Amino acid sequence: MTSARIFAVGGLMSYRALFYWLTPMIYIPSLVVAPIFQILLMAYIGRSAGLASDEFYVVGNAIQYAAIPCLFAMMQLVGGEKFQNTLGAILVSPAPRLPLFFGRAVPVVLNGAFVSAFSLLVGSLILDVEIPASAVPSLALVILVAAFSCTGLGLINAALALRIRESAVLSNVFFGFLLIFTGANVPLDDLPGWMRTISDFIPFTHSIEAARRLVDGAATSEVMGLVGVELVIGAAYAVAGYLLLRFFENQGRRHATLDRT
Amino acid sequence: MSVVEAIDLHRTYRTSTGTIRRKWKDVEAVRGVSFSIEKGELFGLLGPNGAGKTTTIKMLITLLIPTSGTAKVLGHDVVKDAREVRKRIGYVFGGERGVYERLSGYDNLRYFAELYGVPPGEQKQRIASLLDLVGLTGREQERTEGYSRGMKQRLHVARGLLHDPPVVFLDEPTIGLDPVGARELRATIAQLVDAGKTVLLTTHYMFEADALCDRIAVINKGEIVAHGTPAQLKQNVTEGAVVEVEIFGIPEGTVERVRELPGVSAVSVEEREQAQVLIVQTPADVELTHAILGRLDGANVGRVSRREPTLEDAYVALVSSDE
Amino acid sequence: MKTLRLLAFGWYFQFKTISRSPFEGLFQIIYPLFFATVAFLMFSVGNNPKTLLYASLGSAVMGMWSATSTTAGGAMQRERWHGTLEALVASPPHFALILLPITLAMSTIGIYCLVATLAFGRFVFGIELTIEHPLAFGLSIVGTVLSFGALGFLFAVAFVRFRAAWALGNLFEYPVWLIGGFLVPLVLLPEWVRPISWALAPTWGMNAIRESSLGGTPWPDLAFCLALGAAYVAVGVLALERVLGAARKRATLSLT
Repeated sequence: MTSARIFAVGGLMSYRALFYWLTPMIYIPSLVVAPIFQILLMAYIGRSAGLASDEFYVVGNAIQYAAIPCLFAMMQLVGGEKFQNTLGAILVSPAPRLPLFFGRAVPVVLNGAFVSAFSLLVGSLILDVEIPASAVPSLALVILVAAFSCTGLGLINAALALRIRESAVLSNVFFGFLLIFTGANVPLDDLPGWMRTISDFIPFTHSIEAARRLVDGAATSEVMGLVGVELVIGAAYAVAGYLLLRFFENQGRRHATLDRT
Repeated sequence: MSVVEAIDLHRTYRTSTGTIRRKWKDVEAVRGVSFSIEKGELFGLLGPNGAGKTTTIKMLITLLIPTSGTAKVLGHDVVKDAREVRKRIGYVFGGERGVYERLSGYDNLRYFAELYGVPPGEQKQRIASLLDLVGLTGREQERTEGYSRGMKQRLHVARGLLHDPPVVFLDEPTIGLDPVGARELRATIAQLVDAGKTVLLTTHYMFEADALCDRIAVINKGEIVAHGTPAQLKQNVTEGAVVEVEIFGIPEGTVERVRELPGVSAVSVEEREQAQVLIVQTPADVELTHAILGRLDGANVGRVSRREPTLEDAYVALVSSDE
Repeated sequence: MKTLRLLAFGWYFQFKTISRSPFEGLFQIIYPLFFATVAFLMFSVGNNPKTLLYASLGSAVMGMWSATSTTAGGAMQRERWHGTLEALVASPPHFALILLPITLAMSTIGIYCLVATLAFGRFVFGIELTIEHPLAFGLSIVGTVLSFGALGFLFAVAFVRFRAAWALGNLFEYPVWLIGGFLVPLVLLPEWVRPISWALAPTWGMNAIRESSLGGTPWPDLAFCLALGAAYVAVGVLALERVLGAARKRATLSLT
């Protein structure tokens, strides 16, 4: 029962903390307008390189851009506490860690999914990409799973934020990495072999593929396999991130590095 | 002609609350401040936090435009001739911020020497002598991120003096310094006056103003409540007496209850190591000690004494009179 | 002469403080490389060495623009954060002479990005850099840095009231990459976008760099780039007068 409360209420409170810094003046430029520009930029580069259709870039970048809210928010939820010197107070509390950290992730997943969905909608309107109405429910599911999966990676990011100073740089590096490796912009078949291998084990690759197939008219059942893999990848990162968080927490207690900013 | 002349300065801030329906509220930070400073004087603006000292000084150094009233520095209007004023004044503020952390102390000074148009040929020597004045010689090539708070504050002083300004404004320069650092800085300030500069100093430390200033204006809630030489200010309260009561764990509401006693002109509390000291200002010819003790609600009382008032008491009486 | 000296020294000291920050410095160099990688991979599918060099130069200037756009908008906020804004405003020179070197120092960091991206293209993707007119190439880079600094100056003034100026600055990263024709030929963009491209100094700077590298006539482009930069500074100076006056009236100089 306590765990359920920590999960729900704690998650909600930290959600408010999240939106305390994500004021409209930051939210709108960074999470509403910027992804649309990224879609346009990549679609036009694609046109100029003669590589793939607009649809390819609209879907790929709309989903990939969820990396910004998911990675930064997770980093901020932990790193921000460190910055405000409140991390110690939280870690001293007897709250069970599992609901504590995962509760914080729920609003982040929802926000990430919203960012993706909104930029997918606007991007496809601007570039005249047709999305079949029947695909919308399953697309929503794919987007949600994609945001979940990236938030799993975000938990690793959050754990590293406990340890390193320039965690914003790290988030950007993850973002850039996902830009290259997920097939959002470079078709997977055109990636060098070793890069292609990495693609299979990171967030977004499978959900982008699933979303593209849905937009092309595939039935929901045809993409469930991809969605399942994405879920497993997300869960694996989440567990790894959680273990890493616990590990750094312990390390921090031992070496007094938690409050080092 | 006075070097600094402030006539009926007012400054109002607008603050807002709420994001969608903004409610605007006007806060009067400075309400009609007038004073003048003569050449070679060290003038102190003394008051508690939030009294309007910094706002006043910022209007004089051209960073803020007064809501009404005028001010002149060396005959130049601070609003109309801002640039002429800036050339002739130095501005030093306390605190750790305000330096480029990744540059050395020397480079910080070089940068501002350029901004203040110190002739290239004189820069080296000028900086060296200032480093000497503020006691940073030998540390100037280190990045300032490694400086202690006191060193940064002394660097501020050096920066404010780069162009050898005839008028220097010091805004709480000793704030947060340890006693030794503060004493060294006060010695530096005294040297400025010896060198013929006109200095305006703000502080909330009574003894600092007493030790340094030729004249003091006490500012409270945006108004000057008293001004004169330290000796004159003391005279205002020498008529009275001060009763000090040491209390271990002061009961709530004591200050208010004691203040109600007839004849009491001011009450304040000072924190000591294990106890608080209640300081009560009374007329000289009235013995209020028993009445005061009677209002302590049976608290644990230590030493009780009665003494002559000091300048500090004069200050406390001035800034707490209308609370 | 005195003004030039002030600008030069201001630039020198500000460049020194920025380039000493691992965060602002190193990261600025790495970040554009991700986009460069994407661009190289996308263009290498076509396997035409000419388009790859085109992409390499475009990505390099993208990096230069990032260095400016993500920092210059927040130039005043940065001084506020350091607590130095008041000391700068209280000094005698016109504040534009203090602010312009700051944004120029920020855009100068872009040269690191340019070099890093070109080297990355050369050594990781094997894109040979040919420079037909070395002198024009060098001058084009200088001109581009100057105009980026000028545009950054305009941003710094325009965003001064916004605490989240950095977010607004970031917002202008992608659009200028796109509209400036760094990787996309302008003819591919909709007709109505063209006047915006022409009004952007980065468009002309990019052209000048490309022309001098691939062999063409960089001089008119360079002239346009510099003229637009000068225009930005002029507008910025006029706006700055009003902004500072308002700040002194509203007491917003020291807020963080």
